[in-house]
Amino acid sequence: MSKDNEPLLALEKITKRYRNIVAVNRINLEVFPGEKLVIIGPSGSGKSTLLRSINLLEEIDEGVIRFEGREVGYTTKNGRRHHDTPSAICALRAEIGMVFQHFHLFPHMTALGNVMEGPLTVQRKPSEEARRIAAGMLEKVGLSDKMDVFPATLSGGQKQRVAIARALAMHPRIMLFDEPTSALDPELVGEVFETIHKLADEGMTMVIVTHHMGFARELADRVIFMESGSFLAEGTPVELFGANQTNERIRSFLNRLI
Amino acid sequence: MKYLTGRAATALLFLCLAVSPLFAGNSYDRTFREASDLMAQGELDQALSVLQNIPPPSGDEEGTAFISARMQSARIHASRNDNGKALEACREVLNLYPDNSEALNFEAALERKEIPRWRSFLADCVKFLPVLGKGAMMTLLLVLCTMLISPFGGLLIALGRISTIPPLSGLCWFIIWFFRGTPLLLQLFFIYYGLPSAGITLSPMLSAVIGLGLNYSAYLGEIIRGAIQSIDHGQMEAAKAIGMNYRQAMFRIIIPQTYKRLMPPIGNEFIALIKDTALVSTIAMVELMRSADQMFNTYFNITALVLAAIIYLAMTTLFTFVFEKIEYRAGIYEQR
Repeated sequence: MSKDNEPLLALEKITKRYRNIVAVNRINLEVFPGEKLVIIGPSGSGKSTLLRSINLLEEIDEGVIRFEGREVGYTTKNGRRHHDTPSAICALRAEIGMVFQHFHLFPHMTALGNVMEGPLTVQRKPSEEARRIAAGMLEKVGLSDKMDVFPATLSGGQKQRVAIARALAMHPRIMLFDEPTSALDPELVGEVFETIHKLADEGMTMVIVTHHMGFARELADRVIFMESGSFLAEGTPVELFGANQTNERIRSFLNRLI
Repeated sequence: MKYLTGRAATALLFLCLAVSPLFAGNSYDRTFREASDLMAQGELDQALSVLQNIPPPSGDEEGTAFISARMQSARIHASRNDNGKALEACREVLNLYPDNSEALNFEAALERKEIPRWRSFLADCVKFLPVLGKGAMMTLLLVLCTMLISPFGGLLIALGRISTIPPLSGLCWFIIWFFRGTPLLLQLFFIYYGLPSAGITLSPMLSAVIGLGLNYSAYLGEIIRGAIQSIDHGQMEAAKAIGMNYRQAMFRIIIPQTYKRLMPPIGNEFIALIKDTALVSTIAMVELMRSADQMFNTYFNITALVLAAIIYLAMTTLFTFVFEKIEYRAGIYEQR
């Protein structure tokens, strides 16, 4: 990863308010191709909101989002902000994979059906091809034997791996993980981390919000500590988790988690 | 004063007695009086023989007394379960007056009494079922038409209600408000009897389908809206996250998940619908209720209504099982 490249994703002065609470406060962020960025911070610090703003699941109040250099989500005409057309927003989301804390698998579809759904409905691929892609993705996350099973019969870890396969089936340019292991039993966390690691090794660009500091330390190229809607600190895992961390707030947060 | 009143009463009594033979004329009043006295004493045989004294009318003589006497005899025989003699008395009247309705009805009733109850019920069934069956087919047709139309109407209304376009959601709100807020009977009257004044004349069947269709669409609209909004919001987000647009997310992800929870309330509505179709009998549509009513009014025979009730029950039972089956199938993915 070199910082001379154009950033894949750039956020400029992003602000998101809920009534009079500022969830995300004028945040600037650049994510470069192949980079693994981990965002940590206490609950309610705006991590998830920031992540969800990237693929426009949250509507931002101010700021600019650039994806591969082009402005997305909003267009400014005569000084007024307009929403992009729905089809433009859908096209952007198709290039950004997202994994949720609570999986949100489609319960009425089998594992294979869940993974096929994107290629089939959004990319309008023929069902044979969609099936082939989906089977490949399920194999990648180690669930070839669960293809024809409904989500209700899967364990939490298996569900999350299907969700990852579902996002990957769209061949996204970047993957967003919103606390992917927070809803899992501790013994199931490992299999999901393993899957994400494998993905990282293949060079996938990813932004991960997590509370697992060990995982963040292992995987991240860069770690951001977020609090009250702003970035409090930013650096390599060594810089942030290292013994010479001087910021009292960050140290107490980390101590409480470890 | 008291004295005067007493005198007047006595005078009146005498006057009545004096005048009475004029009214009695050549009648058999005394004979009837004698017979009823005997009956009151329980002397039925004697009463019968007294009544037997009244002969058939001769020439152009009036036959009222004869008819009354014979019918009275018939009733006495019938009350002693002597149907043969009762019938005989009836037929004596019918021989002279074949159109006498009292004798005809009594004869029919006696004949019914002669055969066992279950056989007369079967005979009624054979008589009523073809007509009721035809009516039941119309009811079924009406029910199936409404069942086919209203889920789609309901879905449109539900999607309209939750849409973010104010005029559309307002219109759908109005439709629900109107059709849920006025009696179905009134709506049917309005469509069948009211629309012709606006130049639109519809057949009873079409009026019924439109009325029931609109009414049930409004009800199902609210049910479907509730089901859609009860689906976890994360499902919509997950669908959007893989790039689906609103329409794709709705029809591929959200709506299919509502089927299982839609079935119990929709089943309820459709069972109510089967019975609500009875209302269209008021707009000249000959369906099951109307057929049963016609049979009942023609023959004064409660069997027609009993049979109609059985047919309604059969229909609701059948549909109950069908809906249960569909509900089970719709929720099969939730089984572990």
